[in-house]
Amino acid sequence: MILVVSVLLRFVACLLFSPFLLGVIGKTKAFFAGKKGPPLLQPYYDIVKLLQKSGVYSLTTTWIFRAAPLISMSAVLIASFLIPFGDFKAPVQFWGDVILFAYLFGLARFFTVLAALDTGSSFEGMGANREIVFSCLSEVVLFLNFTVLVVLSKSFSLSQMIGDRSWASWTAVGPSLILVIVSYFMILLVENSRIPIDDPATHLELTMIHEVMVLDHGGPDYAFILHASAIKLFVLGSFFVTLLIPFQSHSLVINAAIFFAGMTGLAVVIGIVESVRARLRMNRIPSFITGAFVLALFGLIIALARAS
Amino acid sequence: MELFLLSLGILTASGLLVLLLGSFRTLCHWIFSASLTLACGLIIFVAFLFLRSDGTANFRAPWPVPFGEFSVGLDPLSAFFLITIACVALASGIYGCAYLHSYHGKKNLGVHYFFYLWLIASLVLVVTAKNAILFLVAWEFMAIFAYFLLTFYDEKRSVRRAGQLYLIATHCGTFCLFVMFALMGSSAGSMDFDQMALTHYGPVLTAVLFTLGLIGFGVKAGFFPVHIWLPHAHPAAPSHISALFSGFLIKTGIYGLLRIIFIIKDLPAWSGPVVLVIGAVSGVLGVLYALGQHEIKRLLAYHSIENIGIITLGIGMGLLGNATHHETIALIGYSGALLHVLNHAIFKCLLFLSAGSVIRSTGTGDIDEMGGLLKFLPFTGHLFLIGSLSICGLPLFNGFVSEWLVFRSLFDGVVHLDKFGIILAVMSLVSLALIGGLAAICFAKAFGVIFLGQNRSHANGVYKENPWMMWVPMAFLAVICVWIGLFPKTMVSFSLTSAASFISKEIIPAEMDSLLQPISFFTKVFGVFFLVLSLLILLRFFLIKRYPVRLIGTWACGYELLAPRMQYTASSFAEPILHLFKRVVCFKVHRSEMPLTDFPKELALSSKVVDAPEHFIFSPILVLLKKISRVMLKLQSGYIPQYLFYILFALVALLLWKFPWGK
Amino acid sequence: MMTSIWLDMALAVIVILAICLLGTSRLGSIVALFAFQSSILAAVPFLLGGEIGIHKLVITIGTLLVKVIFIPYMLLWAVRHVSIRRDSPGILGVSTSLLLGGLLIALSFFLSSKLVLSGKTFSGLLIPSAFSTLFIGFLLLISRTKAITQVVGYLVMENGIFLFALLLFETTPLLVELGIFLDIFVGVFVMGIIMNHIQNEFDHMDTSQLKSLKE
Repeated sequence: MILVVSVLLRFVACLLFSPFLLGVIGKTKAFFAGKKGPPLLQPYYDIVKLLQKSGVYSLTTTWIFRAAPLISMSAVLIASFLIPFGDFKAPVQFWGDVILFAYLFGLARFFTVLAALDTGSSFEGMGANREIVFSCLSEVVLFLNFTVLVVLSKSFSLSQMIGDRSWASWTAVGPSLILVIVSYFMILLVENSRIPIDDPATHLELTMIHEVMVLDHGGPDYAFILHASAIKLFVLGSFFVTLLIPFQSHSLVINAAIFFAGMTGLAVVIGIVESVRARLRMNRIPSFITGAFVLALFGLIIALARAS
Repeated sequence: MELFLLSLGILTASGLLVLLLGSFRTLCHWIFSASLTLACGLIIFVAFLFLRSDGTANFRAPWPVPFGEFSVGLDPLSAFFLITIACVALASGIYGCAYLHSYHGKKNLGVHYFFYLWLIASLVLVVTAKNAILFLVAWEFMAIFAYFLLTFYDEKRSVRRAGQLYLIATHCGTFCLFVMFALMGSSAGSMDFDQMALTHYGPVLTAVLFTLGLIGFGVKAGFFPVHIWLPHAHPAAPSHISALFSGFLIKTGIYGLLRIIFIIKDLPAWSGPVVLVIGAVSGVLGVLYALGQHEIKRLLAYHSIENIGIITLGIGMGLLGNATHHETIALIGYSGALLHVLNHAIFKCLLFLSAGSVIRSTGTGDIDEMGGLLKFLPFTGHLFLIGSLSICGLPLFNGFVSEWLVFRSLFDGVVHLDKFGIILAVMSLVSLALIGGLAAICFAKAFGVIFLGQNRSHANGVYKENPWMMWVPMAFLAVICVWIGLFPKTMVSFSLTSAASFISKEIIPAEMDSLLQPISFFTKVFGVFFLVLSLLILLRFFLIKRYPVRLIGTWACGYELLAPRMQYTASSFAEPILHLFKRVVCFKVHRSEMPLTDFPKELALSSKVVDAPEHFIFSPILVLLKKISRVMLKLQSGYIPQYLFYILFALVALLLWKFPWGK
Repeated sequence: MMTSIWLDMALAVIVILAICLLGTSRLGSIVALFAFQSSILAAVPFLLGGEIGIHKLVITIGTLLVKVIFIPYMLLWAVRHVSIRRDSPGILGVSTSLLLGGLLIALSFFLSSKLVLSGKTFSGLLIPSAFSTLFIGFLLLISRTKAITQVVGYLVMENGIFLFALLLFETTPLLVELGIFLDIFVGVFVMGIIMNHIQNEFDHMDTSQLKSLKE
């Protein structure tokens, strides 16, 4: 019973809180640009408005185009069950859930890419191609990050790797942890198509990655896509926040407050990065990911050197 | 055991029958399908029954061949491979009946069916033989029958060449195996596998034996530098035969490797690392080469090399775990490898069969000529989708389960092994993650370009779905994919049992439960996934229902309309990633010269990936061999007195050698 | 123990900055990254523990003056002067040189695990990061074409050597250290002059063009 309630609560938290992060990012960017910016709740308005629209579909498309938003949304929602939110333990945890976690995102991405190819548009083919190429590279770095955490925590279950911090006193493993965090942050930017990888606000299809892939979706489908990408940011971000802030408090309310404050802080940081960095040229992105790879590798080497 | 022998008998007898009745088409057809179904059903039944109980079943009969004995036996390893054979053989055999339907009258299909049934029989013998001589005989039969099946379209020159290449490659491998078994037999004093397993071989001999086995079985399995026959053989054969090749024939190499690992036991310390490196290299390069292919069956053939790489990574972890006495790592590594053997057989067979169905409908294998086929070939398309999802190792499908097991053994290695082991495990981990991502690119490309979008071919025809005899076997395989993907417990426990018997370890039920516990979570998580998905579908249904849905053309980003030719092609989809790895895979782009006029008429751009070992290692060797043969050719002049001279020469030489010189 | 963790952190950051240098092609950022690395380097003597003496103070202040203020200032002046903003990676691409950097880090950890030192090592990371910085500086020197980046590569190498020298910190006389500073100073000065001459003679600073001088 408690399990069901906790699952439902997670569900609600994911669904409700995730668009807020996008709002915070937008507000931060507006602040840096010296503008007032859209209201914090703008992403919610967008999603609600899109949900009320009618569906328009291309004649070329098949059911895959219609199903992909739903499949990717369910996949990222399920991924949220595997990860601890701060001090809130994951309802499902087992030895090796990391791989399921990573591959659920793979499932979501595969269907989004197929949906883009389904339209037969050259632009969407391009977007699909870029998305899947860069995520293929970033997935490797993600696994390397997991490996460092496995080496440090001697465990192979997400909840113990990042949630249970008995292994991770900063004094003992500080340098590798810092490296993992930096490398993971870079991957977070890649996976969620933020600047410097991809500019969600750009208006030229040729330069987009994620946005150009979902050009043809509209109405409720596009709402699902927007929401799914917000949830993805939330889930991957909660990995980051949980790793960064070890919780000590025994009160549920304080824990929740710290966690959500952490998530908001992450959104602010992403907003700052987006404000101060220009986006990279497309052919520099592999170098960016390689940089993250080398950092994670360095972290692994330090962790191994410590272990002996 | 009797049932098993009965199925062997059915296969051989009905093989002879169809050979004799080749001219009665329909009869021959029915005998073939009925006997195949019966025999495969029996084999699956026997193997399942055997895996559920524990114990061994053996059958021995004297055989006049020196050192030979007709000794076959089941053990968990054989039983696991038997299930794989039976599934693959059944599906591709039934499919083959329909696939070759148009060849009735043109070719004698009775002969084809005969070879097919006898190939299955020899495959079954290979995995159950308990005697080295019997094993080698079955192995050789397998190679020959496979050659005849491969060269079905023997009127084509390319097919004959592919057949020759296959024959040469497989015999080079077999040569190594002969030497290996001869060495083993002479030091064990018997050709019986059980006797061999009891013998202790010296360290030098072990190293030699293992190297020979690795090369000999590696050629069959398609390990990286010796894989060259694979991408030629698969496109040449009829699709159901490619399915059988990729589905099971190359797995006999894996079976052989596992068998000698079991027999030799005290393997040299370098065996684990070497096997891991081979696995990583085959995996990554296999999938990279696959990305560069635009012919569907060639693409799938390179993917077989990739999956053999994944299997080999599992075996490598098993070896490493055994060498360092971490039994759990070894157990999970081997069971991951075994399960991936089954899974790969199933989904690769499915993919080849659906590729065959596409080729039969469209008349071409070139991906860039296809597009939008999901509407014309609904069954084939969806079955291909299931196959692609499985091969990418995505959750809900069977590829994920076995890749998860291999991943798990690697991560366990990271936790438990020493530093050198950790470095190896991390290297394999990184390559496995890379393989997963690249496979996703490759199948997004394959499925997207073939089945989605608009049709690219100039013919612009309407394609017809193939008869039910073709898609029902495919559906059978797809059901297995989904079944293992959603309810992996049964097959994982079987593979664990096989792996446990393989490393001579008893698993107590409690340990089994703890190993299976994460697996049982999969089913629950997937259950919740479907629950959420159906809720979302309902929600979308109500949202969409309120307004009428409009259907128009794809938005052309401001242009007038989208032409099929404007779509991303397979080449353009693969270009960015291949460009990144261009130093690894010899990726080349050719473009025609831009004419210096104001209105250029026609431009051409093509890209290709050069198979490095083929071009830089084996072709030079071939050239060298040809040169040597040209010199040798002078010996055979066709001039009778010259041959008589040879005989005289040989006689004198022998005399001088064996002459009892006065002591 | 607290000092050790900060020392480790500082060393890790120094190597991270070296990796960043490999991945950057904007000349201004390269100089800025170098200055940042040197400023952390200047703090390292204090993180080693022990009492704060005149020796440490001189080293730190010297590093700050020479490597954080003077040389970057000069290099930035050169960047402005020659109006080149970007360096292009030479034969190696950025990704390849980054991966090579990762391999060199692994190599340096391997080497230092084999190295037996009699003296006090302060931290397990000190020697590997000294090696890594040295190697990456060398890689920078090899993989880039513009003279300014090569100067920075040389300086990064020197930073690696500085880390090594910290091992002998208590035994090296101050005079030697000051000599090293003077050496760098003169070295960079000479390079500045050469750079200026390349600029004047060939109208750019691409050293790969120098090979046209050979017969």
